[in-house]
Amino acid sequence: MTTIWKNPHQVWHAAKANPEAPTPDWTDPTEIWRKKRTSHAKLYKVGRLRYYHKWGGHGAKLWSRLRYWPTRRRVLDIRSEYNPKTQRVEKTIVDKRPIWWMMALMALAVLPMLTPGEVANTLLGAATIFLIYSAINLCWTLVIGTAGIFSLATMAVVGAAAYAAAGTSVFWGWPWWTMPLSGAALGLVMGVIIALPAIRLDGFYYALLTLGLNELCRVYVIQSKTFGSATGGLYGADSFIPQSASQSTQLIIGYYGSFVVLLAALLLFRLVNGRRLGRILRMAPEKREAFAEAAGVDYRKARIHVFIITSIALGAIGGYYASYFRGASPSLFSFDTVLLGLAMLVIGGLGRAEGAVLGTLIVVFFDKVLIDLGALRLVIIGLIMLFVVLFLRRGLFGIKEQFRTWRDKKKSEHRSARAEKGGEMLPEEATETEDKDELYLRRFDKLTRDYLKTLVTDEVIEEHRRSPLGQHSEALERLLIYFRRQPQVDKYAITVIEPFKSYRIVALSGHRGVAPRVVEEKVYTSIHDAYHGVFMRRVQDLLES
Amino acid sequence: MDFGFIFITAITLACIYGTLAIGISITWSSLGLVNMAYGFTFSAAGFGAWYVGRLAQDLPLVADYPLLLGAIVIAAGIVTGALVGVMVCALAFIPIHDKPEFTVRGLIATLAISLIGTQVLLYMFGPRAKPLPTLFGDWKVSFGDIVITADKGGSIMASIVLLTLTLRWMTHSRRGLEIRAMMMNPHAASLVGIGVRRTGFYVMALTGGLAGLASVLLSQTYFVSPFAGLTPLIKGLSVALCGGLGSVQGAVIAAVILGFNEALTASFLGGQYVLITQFLLIIAIILVRPRGIAGILDRAREA
Repeated sequence: MTTIWKNPHQVWHAAKANPEAPTPDWTDPTEIWRKKRTSHAKLYKVGRLRYYHKWGGHGAKLWSRLRYWPTRRRVLDIRSEYNPKTQRVEKTIVDKRPIWWMMALMALAVLPMLTPGEVANTLLGAATIFLIYSAINLCWTLVIGTAGIFSLATMAVVGAAAYAAAGTSVFWGWPWWTMPLSGAALGLVMGVIIALPAIRLDGFYYALLTLGLNELCRVYVIQSKTFGSATGGLYGADSFIPQSASQSTQLIIGYYGSFVVLLAALLLFRLVNGRRLGRILRMAPEKREAFAEAAGVDYRKARIHVFIITSIALGAIGGYYASYFRGASPSLFSFDTVLLGLAMLVIGGLGRAEGAVLGTLIVVFFDKVLIDLGALRLVIIGLIMLFVVLFLRRGLFGIKEQFRTWRDKKKSEHRSARAEKGGEMLPEEATETEDKDELYLRRFDKLTRDYLKTLVTDEVIEEHRRSPLGQHSEALERLLIYFRRQPQVDKYAITVIEPFKSYRIVALSGHRGVAPRVVEEKVYTSIHDAYHGVFMRRVQDLLES
Repeated sequence: MDFGFIFITAITLACIYGTLAIGISITWSSLGLVNMAYGFTFSAAGFGAWYVGRLAQDLPLVADYPLLLGAIVIAAGIVTGALVGVMVCALAFIPIHDKPEFTVRGLIATLAISLIGTQVLLYMFGPRAKPLPTLFGDWKVSFGDIVITADKGGSIMASIVLLTLTLRWMTHSRRGLEIRAMMMNPHAASLVGIGVRRTGFYVMALTGGLAGLASVLLSQTYFVSPFAGLTPLIKGLSVALCGGLGSVQGAVIAAVILGFNEALTASFLGGQYVLITQFLLIIAIILVRPRGIAGILDRAREA
């Protein structure tokens, strides 16, 4: 633990100097500094950096960009920057969602050719239902997410339109291509009727009312003789699928018809959410309506517009539904359908197109493909829904954002836990200090003191007591240099009461014309004792800081 | 047309709907939770009552006093309802009540619970409807041309007695004071030291018990089945909505109005028009008073 320090001046026979003294082992003074500066924040391997692939660019092609005709929008959001290190232009695709969408839609387009023969029928049927429900949910997410109207009457509109379209076809013999049109007309009527209370009611009052409306439709249809209370639905409508074709051909025609419906719904989502109406409504989210209104945004009108447009679209989908299934059944209005539809929206994430489609995919997969599971599949869907609602803020597609928020929170918690008190400035103090050098000075001082505290041992004190002046061991020398460097304010000094006989310790005021103050009453009889007294006081102050 | 019959039917329906609606109303205004699992609570309580009733039938004491069986069945329904209510609270209220967008997430969480719970009931008890034993014996009282049968009179009595007890407990006990404080201003209530989570459990147990009571009483006319909860849920929601969420008096008034509407429509127009007239009535009321008959007109609950 201790080593013996030999005084190098001994060869010159320095008077009264210690020839040798025990001293603590040498430790690296930079060790504390290094330990302090290494990061203690835990680094996560996943998603540590936002990584973007950099594509090569060409200076001459900087301004040639692919745009949608007739707008000036670009197909991909590409940022091009100049990299000063490589002296080249780099391109970064900021938003890759269009690429994923294109890949997914291409996969959907070729799906019927890839399905294996034995499960083709189940899979194609389920895929068709997935496409139709995706289209419905896209419209629904427009109502709930974009317009912020918590309507549960979506399936009521679809079902009513399906019944109306099937009715026109069954009773009056209208051809199949009029069915989406008559459905859309009924959707318009329903939309206007349902939108009326939406002007006055807000939030959950409206949700409960629309839920009741759905139930009303169900009970009416079940009890009405015209709409087939006896046969369990209204069937026999005209269809775009030729009945003479083979079963697989019929399935494929139905699949592509539904695919077109999904594309149309995506286009509608893009047109409503991505353009003027969506912009207006994004300006007026929940709890900020008053601000939007004060800023001159008529968000109520925009909401009603979105609602009515969506109702027309839902009506058209209902008409298509009736034409695909050759009729309509009361199960459209059942509470479970509403529940599963809401599950689809919530699992993917409210208010985004990809969420609506992915949620539909998951729910339809469990509900229609895994039929063998029986009642268990509804339990599984319920559990997924419960999990998503309890743990995820914005559905599956909000996971990334939520994870980043959580990580940032953890980081800042860590950062604030790392700021130790004592010498260093607290964060709020640091931001208000004009001279930022002060921060680093304090920090350096703190680390120096931390090191010096390790040097204060009995040997060092004993060494100083034996000879306060002259050459010392490195440990003592470091301590003394630090003490001498302290500022004048409250620095200890020795005042001579009577030369060679009595001394006393005082503290300098540090100001011209202001006398030093007496620190202690004790009178030292020799100057060496007084030196040691000052040293002990300083050591005490150091250990206390 | 038998007006006495219509009147008694209306009052019976009003009592049962009032019981349901007050539960929904209290849950919404104190916890800010739209309890969509209320229907599941309802049917689960029905099954609980049915199961206990079947067990209790064999007891020797019950054979001597038939009314005792009714009391046991009612108590079993209330206890099961309260237990299910506590479970719903632990699953859908405790984890997310302080998270963002609680109202939407709470609504969907309770919907998910009702989806799962209904399937579990279906798996455990099968799809067939179960009858409950007669609760109130077999008697008849007539005032002039008004004849009160045992089931109707018993339902009216039981629901009025239990509702009065509940409301009295709400106004005269420490816990009731806490619940009412939460109904007025949840944030301020938590500031003065009322535990939000603990009060959540009380509220859900209370409203679950009310659902259980309504379930046992309604099963005199309907049967107990896994999907039986949907219609009462929607009726209760619409009565609560119409009376103003968070207001007990409003719920009572709306229950009486809708009960009369249902009894009148059923006897004059026919059963299938009940829901239509009911919703037209509700929409008309709500267009005049957007927050229900006795609802507070400004933003009642922001937190």
